[in-house]
Amino acid sequence: MKYAEHINSILKGLVASSDGLIIYGQNVTEGSRIGGLTRGLDTLMKGKKKMINTTNSENSLVGFGFGVMLGGGTAAFFMKQLDFLFLGIDQLVNTYNIIRNSGQAKGSFTIVPTVVDVANQGPHSSSNNFSDFCSMARIQGFTITNKYDAQKVLTTHFGAPGFRIIGVSHRFLKEDIFDPGVPVFTDKEVKLVQYKDGTDATIACFNFSFPYGWKLGQELEKLGKKPALWNVNYMTPIDWEPILISAKKTGKLVVIDDSNSENLSCFSLLAEARKLNLKKDVVITSKPVDNWFSPVSSVASVDYAKVARDIIS
Amino acid sequence: MYKQKIAEEIIRLRLSQMIVNEEHKKGQFKIPLHLAMGHEAIAVAVSEIMQDDDFLLPTHRNMAYNLARAGSLRPILHEYLLKPTGLNGGRSGSMNLLNPARGIVYTSSILGNQFPVAVGLAMAGKIFKKNRVTIVMGGDGSIEEGTFYESMLMARSLNLPVIFIIENNDWSMSTRIHERRSPIDLSLFAESLDIRYVHLEGNNPYLYVDVLKDLRKFSLENSVPVCVEVKVSTLGVFSFKTLEHPEGEPLHPHMGSTPAVSLDKGPMIEESEKDPVFVLTKLIGRPTMEEIARKQRAAIEKEIET
Repeated sequence: MKYAEHINSILKGLVASSDGLIIYGQNVTEGSRIGGLTRGLDTLMKGKKKMINTTNSENSLVGFGFGVMLGGGTAAFFMKQLDFLFLGIDQLVNTYNIIRNSGQAKGSFTIVPTVVDVANQGPHSSSNNFSDFCSMARIQGFTITNKYDAQKVLTTHFGAPGFRIIGVSHRFLKEDIFDPGVPVFTDKEVKLVQYKDGTDATIACFNFSFPYGWKLGQELEKLGKKPALWNVNYMTPIDWEPILISAKKTGKLVVIDDSNSENLSCFSLLAEARKLNLKKDVVITSKPVDNWFSPVSSVASVDYAKVARDIIS
Repeated sequence: MYKQKIAEEIIRLRLSQMIVNEEHKKGQFKIPLHLAMGHEAIAVAVSEIMQDDDFLLPTHRNMAYNLARAGSLRPILHEYLLKPTGLNGGRSGSMNLLNPARGIVYTSSILGNQFPVAVGLAMAGKIFKKNRVTIVMGGDGSIEEGTFYESMLMARSLNLPVIFIIENNDWSMSTRIHERRSPIDLSLFAESLDIRYVHLEGNNPYLYVDVLKDLRKFSLENSVPVCVEVKVSTLGVFSFKTLEHPEGEPLHPHMGSTPAVSLDKGPMIEESEKDPVFVLTKLIGRPTMEEIARKQRAAIEKEIET
C-alpha cells in the first residue's frame, strides 16, 4: 500500500466513526484529492458531516477552522502545500493565541498540509521544515513517516479537542508506506517513538528523515552493532529524557534532520545531549547547494557505510 | 420604555468612554486603547437586536460594543487596568476583550482576521442547527484585506447567516481613505455576490434597531449573509503638531486618549449628526438628555468607586 493510500484508509475509518466533522480545502473532492489523501471521504458525509471544496483563500480557511472550533465543531483543513499556510500565519498566531487565552476552545481543528520536501518542486520547497510553522505559536505538530506512526498519530490527534497540524510528506505520497513494524516504545501522544533498542549508538530522526535513520541502523547492524533508533514525530519543545537516557547508555548520538531551515529541531536535542559528555555525536543535516532556491533535487545522499564506520570508530 | 432604554444606553456608553478617556489622560493604562466615541448608535442597536444565542465579533475598536454587551463599565475598566477583577481576569486587555456569556466570542486585533472566524462560527451553528446569526464587525481598513472578500464569498457560497457590519469612519490609523486607496463601492461588491446590502447613516438609534432587526430576520430565515455599511465618525479629532505640520494637523483619535474631549463638558461632543448624542438630543429633547446624563454619570461613578 502506498503512503497516501494508507493515510486515506485511516482517515476513512475516522470519518466513518465520527458523528460530526467538516473536512475542507482546495481540491478535496476534485482532481487528485490532495494526492489521494481525501479520496472517497465525500461518500462518508452524512448527518452533521460535511465536505467543502473551497475557494483559494488560505488565510480565511485557517480562520474559518478556528471559527468552527470556537463554535464547538470539528474541522479539518487539508492543503496541498505547506507553503500555502504562509497566508494563514496571522491566524495561526493571533487567532489561536486569542482562543487559547480565552479558554474557549471546545471544538477541534486540524490542519493537514503536505510538506513539499521534494525540492525540485520549485522555490517554495525550501520551506520544508514543518517545525518552523509550529514554533511560531508553539502549535502542536506531528509528522507522519511510517505505517505505525500514521495510525497512531491520526487516531490519537485527528478530530481530538484543540488544535494541531499534522504534516504529510510530499516525497512519500506515491511511495510504498514504510513499515518498520511495531515499536519498542511510544509515548502516549506519539511524540517520540522508538523502533530499535540497542546499546552501541542512539539515532534520532527529525522532520521526515526516519527512512534515512532506518538505513543507517541497518548499516550499523551489518557491522555487528546494535543501534537505538528513535523517531521524533513532534515539534519542539519536547521532553527529551527518553532519548537522553538512551544516549547516556550508548555514549553515542546521531541526529538526522532533513529540513532545509537554519532553525532545526535537532539542535534542541543536541544542546541537551552535549551536557552528557558523550563519546561521540554525529549531525546529519541538509546542506543547501548554491541555488537552493531554484528547483533542485533534494534527495539526500548519505554514505551510510562511512557514517556507520565513523560512529563505531 | 424601549425608547428610554435606548437613550440611556447611548448616554451610558458615551459617558463610560469619556471616563476611560479621562483615566487615560492621567496615564492609568499600560495597554493600547481605542476609544469609539461616535460609534454608540450602531453599538447599542447591534446589542439590542442580538438574541441569546447570537455571536458578535468586533474589531480592536470594540469598546462601545463591549460596554453595550457587558451593561457596566467596572469589569471593562478593570480589564483595561489588567486587574484580576477585569472582564477577562486581566488577560485580554482592550483589543481582544471577550465576553462569551454575552456573545462576544472573538475579537480581532488584526485587520480582517475576524471575518473568516465568523464564517466558521456560522458554519458550526448550521451544523448544530442553532437558530443563530453571527454578527461580524469591520472597518473601512479591514475591507482592504483579502479575508473580507474571501469571507463574504464563503458565507454566500455556504449559505450562512452572517451579518457583516462595516463601520466606515474614513480612517485607518492616521490615514484617510482618499489618502490611501481608490473608493470601494460596497453596494456593488455585495450585489456582485448576490448579498443584500444596506447603508446606514445619521446615527438615529431607533432607525438602526428597526433596520437591523429586519436584516437579522432576513439573514436567519433565508440562511444568507447580509452586508451593512454604517457611516460613523470617531469623535475627538484634535490638532497634532509634527515636524511636517508645525501649525498642527487635524488627526483622528486612533489610539489612546483624545485631549479634544472633556467629561466636564457633558456627553455631547459635536453639534452635528456625526455625534449620536446630538441626534438623540434632537429626538428626545435636551432636558431629557441632560437628566439621563446626570443620572447615568452618577450611577457609573458610583459603580467604579467600589
